[in-house]
Amino acid sequence: MDYVTVNGAQIEVDEDGFIVNPDLWSEAIVQVFGKLEGVEDLTEKHWKIINYLRDYYKQFGIAPMIRKLCKETGFTLKEIYELFPSGPAKGACKLAGLPKPTGCV
Amino acid sequence: MKDKPPMYVAKQADVEALGFSFTPEALQPGRALEKIGRLRKKMRSLMVMLETCTKCGNCAKQCHSFLGTEDYYNFPAARAELFRRIYKRYFTLSGKIFGRFAGAEDFNEETLGKWLTYYYQCNECRRCARFCPFGIDTAEITIIARHILSELGIIPKFLYSSAVNMAKTGNNMGIPKAAVIDSAEFMEDEMREETGVDIRIPVDKPNSDVLYIPSSADFFTNVDTMLGAAKMFYVLGTNWTIPSSVLEAANFGFLFDFNVMKEHNRRLKVAAAELGASLVVQGECGHGWRAAKMYTNALNGPVPFRLLHIHEFCDENLAKLPLKKLTMRAALHDPCNYARTGGIIEQPRRILRVCVTELVEMTPNREDTFCCGGGSGILMDEMLDIRMKLGKKKAEQIKAVGDIDYLVIPCSICKAQIPAVLKHYGLDNKFEMGGLMDIVGKSLDIKKT
Repeated sequence: MDYVTVNGAQIEVDEDGFIVNPDLWSEAIVQVFGKLEGVEDLTEKHWKIINYLRDYYKQFGIAPMIRKLCKETGFTLKEIYELFPSGPAKGACKLAGLPKPTGCV
Repeated sequence: MKDKPPMYVAKQADVEALGFSFTPEALQPGRALEKIGRLRKKMRSLMVMLETCTKCGNCAKQCHSFLGTEDYYNFPAARAELFRRIYKRYFTLSGKIFGRFAGAEDFNEETLGKWLTYYYQCNECRRCARFCPFGIDTAEITIIARHILSELGIIPKFLYSSAVNMAKTGNNMGIPKAAVIDSAEFMEDEMREETGVDIRIPVDKPNSDVLYIPSSADFFTNVDTMLGAAKMFYVLGTNWTIPSSVLEAANFGFLFDFNVMKEHNRRLKVAAAELGASLVVQGECGHGWRAAKMYTNALNGPVPFRLLHIHEFCDENLAKLPLKKLTMRAALHDPCNYARTGGIIEQPRRILRVCVTELVEMTPNREDTFCCGGGSGILMDEMLDIRMKLGKKKAEQIKAVGDIDYLVIPCSICKAQIPAVLKHYGLDNKFEMGGLMDIVGKSLDIKKT
């Protein structure tokens, strides 16, 4: 198992770098994951997407449909890729502390 | 295992939690041989294939995995040899007596490492079988080898994860029922906005004639495929529903474990009975169609419902659909599981000829199609380099087609793999890509009805 250090604490991540225990997510983790994902400066736009993902996940236990994510946050898919180079599933979901979307995606 | 396999492997505690037993490393070869011994009596087809190869080498020229990776063990006859040499050593007289001189080999840790590495670089696409003078189907050998590995508790993390989600929620993405309903409502809103008409996506509606089984990816990324199907059912006035208990056309169990495969298939039977459906329609998923069409009877049969693929259903009802031709040059990719294991070949073409102004064929096509390289669940991120090599022949085919507006890739795995392949070979951003039902949805003249 791998670990990332966040404010002195060891947070467990899986082989793909996603947090193993979503309850341990914190805003500090976003900064650490951000650096690993090549997202250096987190803007309001980043946080809007991250917060939407977290709220949806808390309510429904899964990441939202990508089209819904785009519509509700007001960003196109292209804009989301510009903000999170790995994309909504592998990039934004990682920073938001969601499990990695699996299956044919 | 000595050499590191190219994919993440599920941990012992995890596979045991899923109900698999984990055989200690030292005992793995022995247990695998026991399994082969038992299979020998049950699966004559496998034994015939293991005993028949003449090493003519014809398969080498035809296998995209070998042509793309240039790795000796991805040459179908060599891939089969990984199994054949073991079979000879322990189950044939010459192998037992003469060992290596008779082309036999001991089964040890190194063998298992090679099995894991190479049987998960075979897309199970059966192209080799098509060109083998004896019809040896390396895919069958791959399927069995993977199942043996799973019985030992050796399962790639990617496939293991889908099995966990399947058991928990009835689909590979792990979408719980509340999210299914939320997503369905969102898609209904989208269709209302687009057409001004109230097109429904009924979830778990009892007394439905038709049970539609989409790929769960249609509820995450490939939304247009779901919308196309919903619009078609609406226009036909079909009494249909989707089941939240098995919102998954893809049968990943087929790709690594018979029991997981059987259980998925059983859910289909149960859902059809509960919702009263006499027709089950599978969505755009290649191996899911193969598993449902070819294995349902043996796994959970007999079943009281008719089973069709959405393209067959659409084709059957084509004359009734008010379709306006879209002005576009569209190329069709034949998914390997449709063309070589599913009998879905001319139907997409008939549908496309009505939906688009120009349909372009790839070369080769139909039963000779090249797999996209993601087949049999080889979609692991950690295997990206290998996956891009597996997709090389497909990329060449797509490039050779010239300028197009749309590439029809009517299978979920192809929808995940081909965009990555095209990006890798510098062919992306030149055209749109998507499913066949996506095109049907765009082509349907909804306001008319």
